[in-house]
Formats: sequence, structure tokens, C-alpha cells
Amino acid sequence: MTGTATLPRSGSTGRATLLGLAALALAWEAGARLLSGSFVLAAPSEITAWIATHPGLLARALGTTLANATAGFLAGNLAAIALAAAALLWPGGRRLVTGFALLVFCLPLVATGPILRVLLGPGDGPEIVLAALAVYYTTLVPLLVGLNAAPAAWFDLVRSYGRGRLAELTAIRARASLPYLFAGLQIAAPAALLGAMVGEFTGAERGMGVLTIRYMRALDVPAIWALATAAAAVSILAYAAIGRLARALLHESPPVILAPPPDTRATRGTLPALLHALAVLTLALLLWWGAMAAFGLNPFFAKRPGDVLAALVWAPDAAETRATLATALGETARAVLPGYLAGLGLGAALAVLLTLAPVLSAVAMPLAVTLRSVPIVTTAPLIVLLLGRGAAGAIALVAVMVFFPTLVACLYGLRQAPGQILDVFESYAAGPLPRLLHVRLPAMLPAFFAAARMSVPAAILAVTVVEWLATGRGLGSLMALSASLSDYDMLWSAVALVALLSVLCHAAVAALERRVLSVYAAEQVPA
Amino acid sequence: MPADPPPRAPAITCTGLAKTFPGGREVLLPTDLALAGGRTTALVGPSGCGKSTLLRLIAGLERPSAGTVRIGGLTPAEMRRRAGLALAFQDPSLLPWRTVRGNIRLARRLARLPADPERIEDLIRLVGLEGFGDTRPAALSGGMRQRAAIARAMATDPQLLLLDEPFGAVDELTRRQLARDLPRLWEPRGTTTLLVTHSVVEAVLLADRVLVLSPRPARIVTDIAVPLPRPRDPAITATAAFHALTDRVSAALADGAARAHPPLAAQ
Repeated sequence: MTGTATLPRSGSTGRATLLGLAALALAWEAGARLLSGSFVLAAPSEITAWIATHPGLLARALGTTLANATAGFLAGNLAAIALAAAALLWPGGRRLVTGFALLVFCLPLVATGPILRVLLGPGDGPEIVLAALAVYYTTLVPLLVGLNAAPAAWFDLVRSYGRGRLAELTAIRARASLPYLFAGLQIAAPAALLGAMVGEFTGAERGMGVLTIRYMRALDVPAIWALATAAAAVSILAYAAIGRLARALLHESPPVILAPPPDTRATRGTLPALLHALAVLTLALLLWWGAMAAFGLNPFFAKRPGDVLAALVWAPDAAETRATLATALGETARAVLPGYLAGLGLGAALAVLLTLAPVLSAVAMPLAVTLRSVPIVTTAPLIVLLLGRGAAGAIALVAVMVFFPTLVACLYGLRQAPGQILDVFESYAAGPLPRLLHVRLPAMLPAFFAAARMSVPAAILAVTVVEWLATGRGLGSLMALSASLSDYDMLWSAVALVALLSVLCHAAVAALERRVLSVYAAEQVPA
Repeated sequence: MPADPPPRAPAITCTGLAKTFPGGREVLLPTDLALAGGRTTALVGPSGCGKSTLLRLIAGLERPSAGTVRIGGLTPAEMRRRAGLALAFQDPSLLPWRTVRGNIRLARRLARLPADPERIEDLIRLVGLEGFGDTRPAALSGGMRQRAAIARAMATDPQLLLLDEPFGAVDELTRRQLARDLPRLWEPRGTTTLLVTHSVVEAVLLADRVLVLSPRPARIVTDIAVPLPRPRDPAITATAAFHALTDRVSAALADGAARAHPPLAAQ
């Protein structure tokens, strides 16, 4: 059909990806040679040489990190499946489950790491938990969509034979959710590696993250690039392998978009939304307090909700704590806001440009999907090398983190323009610009907002990691400092603040999304 | 403004027109076709036979594997550039974020025609959507959306109107109303109209000529003239003359189907 863009078949996709990667490698080598001596960019040849001379070291580190990432991948995805099952068994509680899941997903991993280290003691526990925390939400969200991704008539069919919810689950929901589950698992692969490495950044003894920190201190540029390349390569392979498995098992590719527009039916009005937020907060506080009490953890490092409240409100140094947090928050905001907006804007703009040149779009889509599977946060050291320890590095890392998912989502969204509407436009010999303005851009909006929403926690993760590792400013740095000084009141307060603000930002984006989509995608948001 | 006005009441000539999709799937066998200008022709055939493909080839939305299409002597692309043709589908394909009026107005803008608010209000009234000009498609019933889509198609005063199952997605009652009301929009203007449908009754009710297509790959198996007087009221469907025509069309359809798929052996 004219006008409807379909994904290129896998053969040409593979070739296009390889061509794109080859071009990238060439440009990279040339750029590195141009910049040699400036300690920023290692050429592919230098990286290969480093890997060839340190195979044992790299293999041991990769082995440790992969083992932790795999354990976290399994734990996180099992948790996602359990949560989805809970939401399915108790439909009324679905929003409570997803709200709580989001809140936990918004915990800043860089601070969760050291807290877990003191809670769990020596061992790989923190890395595994962080890997699990990094993956479960991006599996839960598509899984919940998939479990309901069937026409109502199919459920009526099951009911017409006198069967109930169990039969619905086994006959329809389970199968309908598989492509979405695989989509979540695909994204989970790089995320698990990212979680494990962030865990290692925050004080492990072995692994890729530990090596990265060591070589950053030594300013060993080829080593840093080699480690990042190895991590990226493993991620891409895992992502591709899961995609291949999905195609082999399901005879279809997993969907590209993970988070559909929010359901408006349950959130009509301000009061229900507030009540919902209050319920989620109460549940979180109860679980927090309950866990601390149940395990009888030492209150010196295992702070309860009351301790944090005291530290922020009525402790003698509360005003000072609040001022410190506010200063750090301001610094973080100055990095994360421009980065987030730049990532969104550039991702959408590039997608639009590529759509105007369809030949480029066919090459760009697989390349963008591949680069999306790079755990961007693990490239933080590279961005610090390239842009220095100032604000530019932090902004750039956040932008890159947001850029790739946005680009992929927008490329996908632009292709969702209804073919028949494009035919109508063609019947009036309308040019590419009217098609873009009237059909493709509005069709892109749902995917764009899905990316914008899911990028909120990602942006905050990115900014806190880079602040922790490099810039010495903002909440990330404050958390690093508090952890090393054993100022657990400050550390827990920062964690609670970051999680709360992340959820609020997420809710703000979702509210804007609902408002825009109620006009621009009426059929997708129930009126 | 389009460069030149399109030819009035254009005749359609297809010469050796054929379509094979990539992968070798033959959809339309080489077809010669001459349709008189200013008349309504119905293409009837079983589902998936390729009648929509023929329509899309004539609109120039699909590139033919062989052969040519001329509309009043022009290529489909030239006709489109002169805002000479308009389309309506089974799916109304309205832009969900524009009102009824906004959707109709957009067609004129896309065709580089001056905005003509009076004409747009006329159309809204003519298709029976008075009072719904500011309504978005989501708030309309299926039949109302279809009326809006037809109004949009008429907004540019096309000389060639291509209708692909335009009443396919609405209920029987609405369908009858639409079949009664909407031809009044294009009949007096002498618009050349090509209608794809799988409803035999609709084809005979609306058309001056019915072409019956075989199952895929499509070829024209029968050409039936419909000499019923105009304007036609749906009451005409109860007459013997009407039934004789629908019987002929149905027989031609059954015949084409039987040749493509011989009946199953008796059990």
C-alpha cells in the first residue's frame, strides 16, 4: 500500500545494520586518530589491542558482571511476572501495583547500592538486587499491556463456553502477552548489565564496574573504551539473541514500544488521582517500615520512615539538611532538565528528518534499535572523558540516555500513520510537508509521549550516576559523599527525595500526555 | 491554485492494465476498460478479488505492472495535481483530531483550492450533519462519519469520484439512507463515479453499469448495463426490473466463483 511504511525484512535489516556499524567504526577510527594525544577517544584499533593484551582480566571481570546481571535479570523478570499476576488476580489493585512498582523503580540506584551493601553485607547481593531493580519495571509495563492485548470478543468466546478467568488466562492472555513479555526481556538484557555495573561502581570488589573506576582514576583511555565496548557488545548480543528467540518461538518480532498511553478511565479528576497517590505512598511507607522491623536491621544505617522525617523536619540540624538537599537538587535539575529536553527534542527531530528521507530511515531504524540496547549509563566514563567533569558531561549523558529510546519510539510512531489517510492526502497530490504536519506528527505523538514518560526515571538514573562518578555536584555527588561519610540520615533522605520527585515528574509527563492525546489520538485514549 | 482545471466528466480508459504484487502474486490480469464520462460504474466481485486494486490503480495510488490508465486523457498523477479526483473508503479515514468541518476544509487546502466556507457549510448540510460541524469524529456514529468522509470527498468538486465500499462498515438501515441521499450529491454534477462494492443490490441501485470481476486474479467476466431511470428511490429495489438485474449480477458472480472454485464433491 502506498504510504504505509512497513519494517524492512530481516535480511535487508541485517545488512543495513552492518553497513551502518561499519560506517560508524570507520568514522570512529578516523576521529580517534585525529584526537590522538588528547586522552578522550580510543580508536577501534587501540581497543582491540587492549582486549588482545588483557584477555584474562577482561574475561574474569565480564564473567563476574554477567553472572550478577543474569541473576538479577532472572530475579527482576520473575518479580515482574509475579506483580503482573497479582494485578491480574486483583484488577482493582492494578494501579496500586503499578504505582508502587514505579516508585521502587525510581529509587536512585547509586544510593540504593551502598545502602544494600551495608544491609546485605559482603558478597554480590547488591549488584544482583540492583540488576533486578533495573529490569523489573520495563518488563512489568509491557506485560500488563500484553495480558490485555486481545479483542473483547475473544474473552466473550471463552465465557460463552462457560469458562472463567483461569481459562481466559491460559487460552488467551498468556499467549497474547508473550510478544510483550519478550519486548520487556529484550530491554531487560542491557538494563540488567547496567544495574550490575552501577552496583559495582558503588563499591564492589570485582567486575567490569570496578575495573572501569580503576582505569578512570588512572586515565587509561584505551582500557575505559575497551570495557565500555565489551559491555555494549554483550548487551547488543543479548538483546539480539532474545529477539531471535522471540521470532523463533512466536514467529513475530516483539513490539518496539513498551509503554502505551496511560489509562484515563481510572484517573478521572484530581481527587481520585490524589487518593491513588496517597495509597501508593502509604503502601510504600508500610513496606519500608515493615521490612526494617522484620529483619531487625540496625537503625544506625537502616533508617525508618520516621528517621527520615525527623532528619528533614525536627532534628536539630534539619534546616541544614534541607538546605544541603535543596542546593544539590538545584544542581541536579540544571543538568537533568536541559539533558532530558535535548534528548527528547533531538530524538524526535532526527526521527522526523529520517522519515522525510525514507532511504535513510530504513538504515537508521535497526541502527537506533541496536544503539538503544547499549547500556548508556555504563558509557558515563566515556562521556566524562569526552566532555570533562563539568555540567556539559552530565547534560550530555542524560541527553544520550533519553535520545535513543525517543528516536526508536518516534521512528516507530511516524510509521503508524494510517495508510488510508495518507492515500487521501496523495489523492490531492499533497506534498511531504502537509503529510508530516497533518498525519505523521500526530500519529507520532503517542509513541513520543510513551518515550518521554519512560525516560523520566532513566534520565534521573543517568544524572545521579554521572554526578556520583565524576562531576562532584548535585544529588548523585551528595549521595556518594553521604555514603562515604556514613551520613545515613542524609543518604536515606536523598533517596526518598529523588524517588518522590521522579514519580511526580513521571506523573506530570503522564498528565500532559493525557491532555495532548485526548485531542490528537482520540481513539487511543477512551473519551 | 492547481495549474489547470481538470477535464469535466472525464471518461476512463484502461489499456492492458495489469498488477502483479512483489512475490509474483497476480491480482489483476491484463484488462482493457472504457468507462463513459459522467456515469456511475460499479465493480462487483468476491472479497479479495482485486477490485480495490483496480480502483487504486485508476487513482494512481498503485503502480501498474503493465498497461496505462487515462482519465479524460490525463494520467492519474496529472488528474490528482489538478484536484480532479477524490476518494472515500470503507473506513472513513477522518483525522481524529480535526472536527467534521476541519476535515472537510483540509481537503480543499490539500488540493490547493481557496477556502470556501459556504460550500463547506452546504456540504455539511447536504450530508445531513447540520449541527455537527464542530464535532470530532470520535463522537459521531459510523454512518455519520461516513457522511463526513463523503462530504470531504465532494469538497473539492472532483470530476472523478472513487468509492471503495463506502457503505461497507455501516448498518443496513444507515446504508439504505446513504445509498438514497449521497448520490444526490454527485449525480447532478455529472461526476464520473467508480464504486467498488460486494453488495449486488447497492451496485444495481447506484450504477449505470455493473462490471462483475472473477475471483483473484481479477478479470472482468460480465458487463451489465443498468437502464433504470434516475433519480432512483430505494423503493425501486422492490420492482421486477430491479430483481431481474440483480439476478443477472448474482448469476455472473456465482458463475465466476464456480469456475475458480469447483463445488465440493457430495458427501
